[in-house]
Amino acid sequence: MRKSENLILIAGALLLLVVLPCLNAFGAEGSALHVSDYTINLWGKYLCYGILAVSVNLLWGYTGLLSLGQCLFFSLGGYALGMHLMLKIGKLGQYYQAGNNPRELPDFMVFLGYPELPAHWVPFGSFWFAALMVLVIPGLVAFGFGWLIFRSRIKGVYFSILTQALTYAASLLFFQNKFTFGGNNGLTDFKTLLEADLNAPDVRRNLYVATVVLLMAVLGLVKWLLGTKFGKVQQAIRDSENRVLFSGYATTSFKLLIFVLCAVIAGAAGALYVPQVGIINPSEMTTDKSLEAVVWVAVGGRATLLGPVYGAILVNVLKSWATTAYPDYWYLILGGLFVLAVLFAPNGVAGMPQQFRDLLVWWKSRRSALPDTAALSA
Amino acid sequence: MFSIQILLRRWLLPVLLGAGLPMAAAWAETVDPALRQQVVEAVLQEDEEQAARIEALAETGSDWAAGVLALWRAGNLQVDRPADGPELLFTLEGAVARRLDTGESFVPVSPKEVATTSKIRKAIKNATDLIAVASPDPKVRAAAINKLGMSQNADYLPVLLARQSKESDAAVQRALREGIALIQLTDEDDVVCLAAIGVLGELRSLGSVDLLQAMTVSDDESEAAKAAAGQALHLIERYQKQVETVGSLFRGLSAGSVLLVVALGLAITFGLMGVINMAHGEMMAVGAYTTYLVQNIFGGGVALSMFGFGLEVPGLNLTGAAYQSYFICAVPASFLMAALVGIALERGVIRFLYKRPLESLLATWGISLILQQLFRLIFGPNNVQVSSPSYLSGSFVISDVVLGYNRVFVIGFAVAIVFLTWLLLTKTSLGLFIRAVMQNRQMAACMGVRTERVNMLTFGFGSGLAGLGGAFLSQLGNVGPNLGQSYIVDSFMTVVVGGVGNLIGTVGSAIGIGMVDQSLQSLTDPSMGKIITLGSIIFFLLWRPGGLFPTRTRSLEG
Repeated sequence: MRKSENLILIAGALLLLVVLPCLNAFGAEGSALHVSDYTINLWGKYLCYGILAVSVNLLWGYTGLLSLGQCLFFSLGGYALGMHLMLKIGKLGQYYQAGNNPRELPDFMVFLGYPELPAHWVPFGSFWFAALMVLVIPGLVAFGFGWLIFRSRIKGVYFSILTQALTYAASLLFFQNKFTFGGNNGLTDFKTLLEADLNAPDVRRNLYVATVVLLMAVLGLVKWLLGTKFGKVQQAIRDSENRVLFSGYATTSFKLLIFVLCAVIAGAAGALYVPQVGIINPSEMTTDKSLEAVVWVAVGGRATLLGPVYGAILVNVLKSWATTAYPDYWYLILGGLFVLAVLFAPNGVAGMPQQFRDLLVWWKSRRSALPDTAALSA
Repeated sequence: MFSIQILLRRWLLPVLLGAGLPMAAAWAETVDPALRQQVVEAVLQEDEEQAARIEALAETGSDWAAGVLALWRAGNLQVDRPADGPELLFTLEGAVARRLDTGESFVPVSPKEVATTSKIRKAIKNATDLIAVASPDPKVRAAAINKLGMSQNADYLPVLLARQSKESDAAVQRALREGIALIQLTDEDDVVCLAAIGVLGELRSLGSVDLLQAMTVSDDESEAAKAAAGQALHLIERYQKQVETVGSLFRGLSAGSVLLVVALGLAITFGLMGVINMAHGEMMAVGAYTTYLVQNIFGGGVALSMFGFGLEVPGLNLTGAAYQSYFICAVPASFLMAALVGIALERGVIRFLYKRPLESLLATWGISLILQQLFRLIFGPNNVQVSSPSYLSGSFVISDVVLGYNRVFVIGFAVAIVFLTWLLLTKTSLGLFIRAVMQNRQMAACMGVRTERVNMLTFGFGSGLAGLGGAFLSQLGNVGPNLGQSYIVDSFMTVVVGGVGNLIGTVGSAIGIGMVDQSLQSLTDPSMGKIITLGSIIFFLLWRPGGLFPTRTRSLEG
């Protein structure tokens, strides 16, 4: 199992990191081996979701904390980078070009009638500050919320409900125009990142490569973490928190650290997601989205290293196909998938080989058991 | 906004309805022949004095005259101009033409409507208004007086003053004082004007706010008048605030009642059974759509479509009281429907997940997605229209606070449901089984309780309560496929704040959250109010994780 996991990890990394970008860059246009810019961009998006799913899994699969707020952290990271991208639009903005915006404010601020740039926006003009905030803001929010919630010994379902409420409140807040983050429309119409044109194919390819690298790094981190003593305690907390507590471990600190780590991972994924998709708005942080991320993990297989990534890719490929082919039935499919995965495949896609093997063993033992019962009755 | 609403409900509507069309039969009885003659003259003699003659009719105070004038204004008064005889005015009662001058029926030769000019229509309006001031119905009187006051026409002042000395009804007296003061606001004499302002302030006249506001910024008014108007405005605005506060508390109470019924259902499925049912909100929508269906079955029927198949639901085409009674059938129907869906859900999915609460959360969320999409496919993505039956669409007005019947009904019904739930849980054998199973499943099973059945019924009951909540909500707000989504977070919060497994706590927290939410929403804006409510709930739970009434248990994992 371990060996095959490593093998898949290396093969996947090669395929995603080297083969796909090379085919995109050097494959002749129109040939069967060419990978279009659109595909590269799409897979960049899927893999960002994959990173998000890994963070959900680290919390839910390995620590037993079902957070319905991971999308909040994902969006916070996205907003932090989005703010920088907004400020870099500068002279390319529509209002500036029309001559109505001498101060080079982001377009939505002109539209909403802001006299000048709000003070908390100013430092985001620097890329490195924004990049730092991508990690710090989700981390701080998670630390504050987590510290309060774990200290009160809130766990299980109550933890889920409270994270859901937090996300709901935050999305309502971001939907407000006066909250200085563009309200309903969010941040969009980005032009450049580090002076590079975001619409150019090679920039998009680089973003994609950065996403794959981050995904691999996160997977490596999770794999390493699970092998350490910390990881063992973490999984013990999932299985029986009270025993761990009575053995003298401060479970609160362990949970808090994991919660913050997962928020930071989700924030980084969000920051890579935004330039590739070109928009971030509050609908990304609704509870539905968080639950959707949980579906990816459930479908892919929780408490497995690669399951969440499979799940994120599978469900999103399915979504891309179903929302164009059968737009009316997508939610029926997603809902059905959810119910079926929970009921019949508790270990998801990653756990299916094992499940089949178990089934086979059970089937064989039943067949071999039959003559015995016949003998008994005779 | 609020004052306009009051204005509409209290004054304009009664005037429109009351002065509109008096019953023909009511004034066919004995009418003084002299009065008949006077009316005929006023109508037929088209000269300079006509407007004055029409307004003079007001002095008769006759409802009959007012009725004729209203008909004339509406273009329903007929004149017969035979070639060989005098002009005859008549009214049509069905197919029967009745002469205006004698009240007898006859057969007209060449009938024609009596024309009006804008000047005459104005005179008619004045006359009917003045007659309404003397109407025997105090409500009509008060409404007419208010209308005259709001016109600020000094010509009406003598009529109102004359009325003031005869009036015995307290409400009408108040309207008179208000109306007179409103007219006196325009008085040249500063003393009269100041006194009028004082009266308006003292009466807390909500109708005069706009006029007083105009006075404070007007250049024509003296400084003293401006100051007095400012003072009166202050008084009135403070009163208005109070009215609004009481109004929003009342709305909060009714919103809290819906939340209460829904959260009570959730308190049973989540608090007692420990099942996280994310589809609980959709059970509400099932109830609301059932109400919609029942309404349409009582009415003209409805065409539904599903997966490309059309389904015509035939209607009974009832009208009047029979149609209005649809809601009485819809309430139990929505309970049963939601309960059935709940039972199906429990049998089909949830019973496999009793030991895995987090996964029941996920599975039921999947169910909620499916149900939402089904609503969209069957009933369309937009909100559907559920009309309030006539007996729920009126309102009480108690010192300027509007209490809608529908809201009063919802509050009353919620109280009844809480009481019934309490009875069911404590006084029936089913309730005993439910409590036994929830306390100790294995022991209850050993004692011969059929726990599977109890689970099924309990879950059905909890879902049914959500359905009832949906039926009530259809009377207060919109019914759409996303209806459940806006309630699910609130309901879970309510149950957790109240203390899981404690129904009394749920009652308290539902009312509390409903009221706080509504008050904050009227103080700030709706979404900001919601954010503050959610934030304070989170902090409350951090402070008291067990909720208002935590369940004490010796179990470590409890």
